[in-house]
Amino acid sequence: MSLRLRLLLIIGVSLTVLWAAVAGWMFMDARQSLRDALDNRLAASARMVAGLVAQFPEPQDISASGNTPLDVVARDGVACEVSLVRSNVMIQTLARTAGSPNLTRVDPGFGTHEYGNKRWRTYVLRQGNIQIATADSIDAREALLKELLLSAGVPFVVALFGSLLLVWFGVTHGLAPLERIRDLLASRRPGDDSSLPEVKAPVELRPLLQTIEQLLERVQAAIVRERRFTDSAAHELRTPLTGVKTHIQVAKLASQRPEEAATLEASLVKADQGVLQLQNILQRLLELARLEGQPVEMEISDPVDAVRAAVEALQPIFGELLSRVSVHGAEESRPVRVAYPLLLAAIQNLIDNAMRYAPANTPIFVLIAPQSAGTMHISIVDEGTNLNAEERRQAVNRFWRGNSKIPGSGLGLSIVDAIARRHGGTFELLKRNDGGLEARLVLCIAVEAEQS
Amino acid sequence: MHVLLAEDDPLVANGIATGLRLHGLTLDHVDTASHADAALATSHFDVCILDLGLPDEDGMKLLRRWRDQGRNIPVLILTARDALNHRVDGLLGGGDDYLIKPFDLDELLARLHVLTRRIAGRSKDSMAHGELTFCASTGEVCLAGRPITLARRELSLLRALLQNPRAILTTEQLCDSVYGYEQNVESNAINVHIYHLRRKLGNNIVETVRGLGYRLGPAGKLEGL
Repeated sequence: MSLRLRLLLIIGVSLTVLWAAVAGWMFMDARQSLRDALDNRLAASARMVAGLVAQFPEPQDISASGNTPLDVVARDGVACEVSLVRSNVMIQTLARTAGSPNLTRVDPGFGTHEYGNKRWRTYVLRQGNIQIATADSIDAREALLKELLLSAGVPFVVALFGSLLLVWFGVTHGLAPLERIRDLLASRRPGDDSSLPEVKAPVELRPLLQTIEQLLERVQAAIVRERRFTDSAAHELRTPLTGVKTHIQVAKLASQRPEEAATLEASLVKADQGVLQLQNILQRLLELARLEGQPVEMEISDPVDAVRAAVEALQPIFGELLSRVSVHGAEESRPVRVAYPLLLAAIQNLIDNAMRYAPANTPIFVLIAPQSAGTMHISIVDEGTNLNAEERRQAVNRFWRGNSKIPGSGLGLSIVDAIARRHGGTFELLKRNDGGLEARLVLCIAVEAEQS
Repeated sequence: MHVLLAEDDPLVANGIATGLRLHGLTLDHVDTASHADAALATSHFDVCILDLGLPDEDGMKLLRRWRDQGRNIPVLILTARDALNHRVDGLLGGGDDYLIKPFDLDELLARLHVLTRRIAGRSKDSMAHGELTFCASTGEVCLAGRPITLARRELSLLRALLQNPRAILTTEQLCDSVYGYEQNVESNAINVHIYHLRRKLGNNIVETVRGLGYRLGPAGKLEGL
C-alpha cells in the first residue's frame, strides 16, 4: 500500500469517526433539549390555562352545564383539556381543544400515551379541583427532530467530504519531497557513481538524504574495490597464461622453419617460465584458501627459528641476502602462538618482498621485540620502499602489486595478513620517518610456554 | 608493418615480439607509458598494441592523451580486462580494436592487418600495383601472376611503399619500417634492399626523389626485368 493511500486512510477514517461521534453527541444533546423545551411548553401552557381558569368562579352545577365539553380551536398544535375534579372517580371535562384526545383519566405530571393510534406526550396539572391537561403529538415532535437532523446533517456531510478533499491535497503536497527523492533514485542507472543532485527537501528529510548519499558512496567504493580486485586478479592470472600460450604458438611456428631452431628452444624455455609463474600463483592461492578454510591450530613457534629458516630458504634466490639482512632482538624473542610452517611462510614472504622492492645493496633489518601487552612485534624494515598511505592500505589486498615490473604474484602480503588475522594478530605496513617501510607482524606471545 | 608494442610483462612481450617477427613484421617493444610516448614522438609506427596495465600510467589514460594530442595511430588494446564496461570504454576511449588475453597469435596478426587495411581505406587484404599483387597477411608477392620470393626486409620495404602509394618516404622512415629500433644498421642498408626490390620487381617499382627520399613508382608494366 502506498504511503499516500495509507495516510489518506488513516487521516480520513480518523476524521470521519471523530466528526461522526461529535455529530452524534450534538444530535442527542439537541434532541434532548428539544424534548425538554417542548415539555416545558406543555407545562407552561397548562400553568397559563390554570391561571386563567382560576380567575373564573367555580361552576357549581354540573348538570347545568351538561355533559358536552366546550370545544376550543387549537392554534399551535398543543391539545388542552380543562376538567373539574369532583372526586377520584368523578371528573367532568369543561373544555377541550378540537381533535384532542380525552385526557381526563391521565395521571398528573408528564406521560406518554396512545390514543386512537396516535402517541401523545401529556402533562397534567391539578390545581384545587381543576385539572388542566396539555398534550403534544409525538409524530409532530419526531417530524421536528427530522427537520433538525436534516438541517444540521447536510452541512456536516458536505464539510466532512470537503475536509477529506483538503486532506488529500495536503497529503499529496506534503509528500511531494518524498516523491521527488523517489523519482531521483528510480531514475539512477545501476553503476552511476555521481552524487545525488540537490533536492528541495524539508528539514526532516535531510538526514534521510544524507544517509542515502553516504550509503551510495559506500556502495560505490565497494564496487570500485571489487572491480579493482577483479581487474588485478584477471591481470595476474591471465598474463602468465598469455605468455605460455603465445610462446607455445611461437614454438609451433618456429618448428616449421629449420632456421628458427634457436627461437623454438627459447620459446619453450619462456613457456616453461610462464608455467612456473602460474604454478607459484596457484600455490599461493591454495595457501590462502587453506588459511581461510581450516581451523586454527594453536601451536607454539619460536620467531628466531622461523627467521633463520626463512633466510636460509631465500638465500639460493637472492645471492646477496646474507650481506643485506640482519636480525636484531633475537635474545629477547619469546615463543608465539602460531603454527611453525605458517610463521615461516609469513616471515619468508616479508623478507622476499623487502629483497625485491627495496633498492639494491640497501640493508634490511629483522627486528624482534616483545611488547608489554603480551604481543610480539616481528618487523622487517627496509630503507628504500616508498608507499603512500593508500598504497600501504591496499598492499594486503589480493593481487595488488606495487610495481608490475618486479616479478611476483601480488599474494604474498595477503597471505601474511591472513596468517596474522587467523591467529588473533595483526599485520600492517608503516612508513618510517627516515625513509623506507616497516612491515610489522604482531602476534600473541604463548604464555603457557613461558611458564613451563 | 612497423608495430609499437607497449606491454609491461616481459614474458608476454617477448612472445608477441618473436611471433610477429616470424610473420615478417617489424616490432619495437616498450614497457612503460612514458617510453611509449617517447617512441611515438620520435618514430613512425603503422599500428600500436597497447596493454592497459602499464606500471607508470593506465593505458586508457595514455590512449586518451594520444587522441587529445591528435595522434591517430591505429591502436589495438590488448588486455586481461574482459568486463563489458572495460571493452566499451576501451573502444570509446580511442581504441580501434580490443583483444583479451590470452589470445591467439594468428588472430592478433589478422586484427593488425585489418587495422592497417582500414586506415589505408582498403577493403581487401591484398594490394595491387600494376602487374604486382601483394597479400598483406601472408606476405605473398606475385608479378603478372608469377610468385616472387622476397626476403623479410624486402617485404617490409615493399609493404611500406604500397601502404603509402603517393607519399615520399625518407630513408629514416623506411629504416623505421624495416628495422624499427634495431641497432647497427648499415647506412646503405635501405639502398641495398631497394636495389634487390628493383632487381626482382623491375626498376620502376621504386622511384628515387632526389634529395627527399623514395616513393612507389608509377603503376603499369614494370620494366627492366
